[in-house]
Amino acid sequence: MRRAPTWPRHAIMVAVCTLMLIPFYWVVKTSLTGENIYAYPPRILPQDPHLFSYVDVWYLIPFTRYLLNSLIVTAMAICGNLLFNTAAGYALTKDFPAKRWVILLFLSCMLIPFQATIIPAYLITSWLGVLNTHLGIALPLLSTIICIFVFKASFEAVPKSLIDAARIDGLSEWRIVVRIMLPLSKPAIATNVILTFIWSWNAFMWPLIVTRTADMQTLPLGLARFLSVMENTTGALYAFVVMVLVPGLAIFLMAQKEFIRGLTSGATKG
Amino acid sequence: MQHQASWLHRKRTRDVALVACFLLPALTIFFLYRILPLGWNLWLSFHTWSPLKPAKWIGLEHYEEMLLDDDVFWQALTNTLIFIGASPLAIAAALGIALLVNSDLRGASVYRTIVFTSYPLMTVAVGIIWRWLYDERGGFINYVLRSSGVVDEPVKFLQSFDLALACVILAEFWQVLGFFMIILLTGLQSIPQHLYEAARVDGVPPVARFFRITLPLLRPSIFLCIVVGILNSFTSFDLVYVMTNGGPGHATELLITYIYKSGFGQTRFDYAAALTVVQFLLLIVLTWLANRLSGGNAGAMER
Repeated sequence: MRRAPTWPRHAIMVAVCTLMLIPFYWVVKTSLTGENIYAYPPRILPQDPHLFSYVDVWYLIPFTRYLLNSLIVTAMAICGNLLFNTAAGYALTKDFPAKRWVILLFLSCMLIPFQATIIPAYLITSWLGVLNTHLGIALPLLSTIICIFVFKASFEAVPKSLIDAARIDGLSEWRIVVRIMLPLSKPAIATNVILTFIWSWNAFMWPLIVTRTADMQTLPLGLARFLSVMENTTGALYAFVVMVLVPGLAIFLMAQKEFIRGLTSGATKG
Repeated sequence: MQHQASWLHRKRTRDVALVACFLLPALTIFFLYRILPLGWNLWLSFHTWSPLKPAKWIGLEHYEEMLLDDDVFWQALTNTLIFIGASPLAIAAALGIALLVNSDLRGASVYRTIVFTSYPLMTVAVGIIWRWLYDERGGFINYVLRSSGVVDEPVKFLQSFDLALACVILAEFWQVLGFFMIILLTGLQSIPQHLYEAARVDGVPPVARFFRITLPLLRPSIFLCIVVGILNSFTSFDLVYVMTNGGPGHATELLITYIYKSGFGQTRFDYAAALTVVQFLLLIVLTWLANRLSGGNAGAMER
């Protein structure tokens, strides 16, 4: 049977990829351009490229402050997720009364988008007294239902005989999780860490609501603030954009497989 | 005998206590930040309340105000529906790309990565990038349109009442296209190959194979994409906030941005709660409708 030539498909995909990459290129080009970025016509290649804009960012805004806040919140979210999701995922592998109801509860919680809860969530956070703190920003991100089910599936794949053997040897439940289940669930852990990182690193709406002072702002808030304060000035804004995007992109490209697996397993679970 | 029974009983109690301890932290978070807010929103929507005033029952007054007197609400609702209604375009494009990169095309994984890369980006940054692309002087889109002679004057995309919403939707497509593609690819890969082989042996033409095998078996994935499209009308807050902040006028106001503005801009928490209830009902109804249209039990796959 004669096969259709593949070049038309390559041509379409190259065109699609070019369209997808243009925004990246344009922002990187702008951040490197030495001349007035508002000059018309804009040049396709950066005119005498340099890194002034990147240096500017350090002077114009408290970049390290934003970075530190983002890192603290993200670290809290990752620790909380690992701890709470493994615990909940392990509990769901056991039989207990009302298990069906707990699973149903988790699944129905998945249907409630966080954005639909902001008003009471703000009031609850203020009642807990953690408005404008790192904990307040991280609190709603501390556990993820998708990841609980990822852990549940991974723990269920561990052979029963192994767990029984450990139990006969007198290991406590907690140590069974830490010594046997977790080392056998590295992919699940990776998925959890990456999803949590991306979500908390990119989170904007919730931090916008709970932070009151500039010293608590995370990177996305810093970006929005920078945009509103000095919109029509220099290429520094675009240098800032690139600086913010690079960590997320790097992590994604390094762990693409785990990230996609997390998303699709979450997706197929409902 | 009795001794053993009580030992079993104790062990059982201990197991349940352990399970409860393990579940408690996660359940607490979901109770505080999912279940409780849902009820609280509903309660608030029937009361007048502000942080300094005691709550007073007013029945449906908020809903009356919203439905009868509030033009911004109707504008935001229309925009949200347009936003959701446009997502099938992105899903169709993603399906085309997924079909192209699913086959044994050399370099398919590179194409996949490139298309997907915009998805995990920070949405605020995406908003800023697209603002810049739409810019009158430094923006790429105006540059292409002007130098190719399509327009003479630069187009103020994001300041235009007619174009702003479409521009925001296009930026949203750019970000979510890769995610749709991945969902559809997972769906395509779960279709058993022998169906295609059998069809080929029977001499079924490719177009018919697509409509008779691929599309029906892809229904769960398509349903999922539609649900994601509906949810995006919530999560696109970041994009709208950065690109237009609902403007010009309220031309790009979504329900979620309007909720934010009434709640935290005008401190009308009670009214914002009523808006949230409406948006949540819209989400439930649309998801149910999508489920019905895609064959009833699409959401029940793999369970």
